[in-house]
Amino acid sequence: MNLTGWEAVFFWVFAICAIFAGLLTVMARNAVHSALFLISSLVSVAALFILLHAEFIAGVQILVYVGGVMVLFLFVIMLVNVGAEERGRDEIFNHPRQVGASLIFCFLLVGGLLFAVNKGYQGLRTRDEAKLVQGAEDRINQEKSLSRSGTGTTKITVDTESVAQSLYRYASLPFEIASVLLLVAIIGSVMLARTLKQEVSADDVAPEELPEELRRHPEVGKVEVGT
Amino acid sequence: MILTVFAFVVQEASGGVLSQMKESAKHPDLSKFLVIGAILFIIGVAGVLTRRNIIVIFMSIELILNAANLNFIAFSRYLQETGNVNALAGQIFAVFVIVVAAAEAAIGLGIVIALYRNKETIWVDEIDLLKW
Repeated sequence: MNLTGWEAVFFWVFAICAIFAGLLTVMARNAVHSALFLISSLVSVAALFILLHAEFIAGVQILVYVGGVMVLFLFVIMLVNVGAEERGRDEIFNHPRQVGASLIFCFLLVGGLLFAVNKGYQGLRTRDEAKLVQGAEDRINQEKSLSRSGTGTTKITVDTESVAQSLYRYASLPFEIASVLLLVAIIGSVMLARTLKQEVSADDVAPEELPEELRRHPEVGKVEVGT
Repeated sequence: MILTVFAFVVQEASGGVLSQMKESAKHPDLSKFLVIGAILFIIGVAGVLTRRNIIVIFMSIELILNAANLNFIAFSRYLQETGNVNALAGQIFAVFVIVVAAAEAAIGLGIVIALYRNKETIWVDEIDLLKW
């Protein structure tokens, strides 16, 4: 799977972008800046996915993460972060001792992971070269035989098609389970983010706690009396 | 003379290593992708462990999941070239990781909003209700 030529150049550009944007995500003082850096990191990783011939996953990554999850993050930051922003010069990291301990842990992790990748990759390199060459030739022949797209400038790849076949053939049960998971997530987040007023109007507050809650938040009681 | 020999040896050795590194940089392979994934993972772990803002902690978790996705897809590509029958399983798993990450973000941010309503804070060291 060695990349060559421009692919290698783009690999380094996007890899360095992803790492720096990731670092800045963790280092930025303002949470909105963090979110924007995380978006650029995710886009860079999507570009790496394209270099790995996973166009469908790259598209999903951009649509779901950048288009969905990060917008949700930005909304929550704007709902929640007003008071924290006003406090201004607050410390953004934990106490120095905790930071020191976790950084030591992280450096151990760096060493361990790099060692493991190095060792494991040495094992992976002992493989059948003839088979690899054959595989690459097969792939090139396959790509040559692809049909032209509507505009005639590119060829229609079968990558997404094979992903779909693999998804529905080997992973149809997890697919259904994922749909149930998403349903649970929708209902759960709606339940969690309700205000007291909405809970009262849905009659979902314990009767013995209701007077206490109303005393703490008088505006809810007023609204109820009004309606 | 010893110095010149030493300098020559150093030059030779570094030249050899350098050219080797240059060669491997020109042709990034599986290990490069794995290293990038590992670095992103560690940045995410550092963010989770050191930051105080709970939303940034969630973002760091997204970074960790993304690093795992990068590994899955790199290995999927590697297996495609070895002619594995179900080489695309890595990409399928990456889709499921994205689904779970989206669900986790929705629930987590719902919890953050509920927490902010009750405690008026998003700093994790001030949220110590379960600490004894």
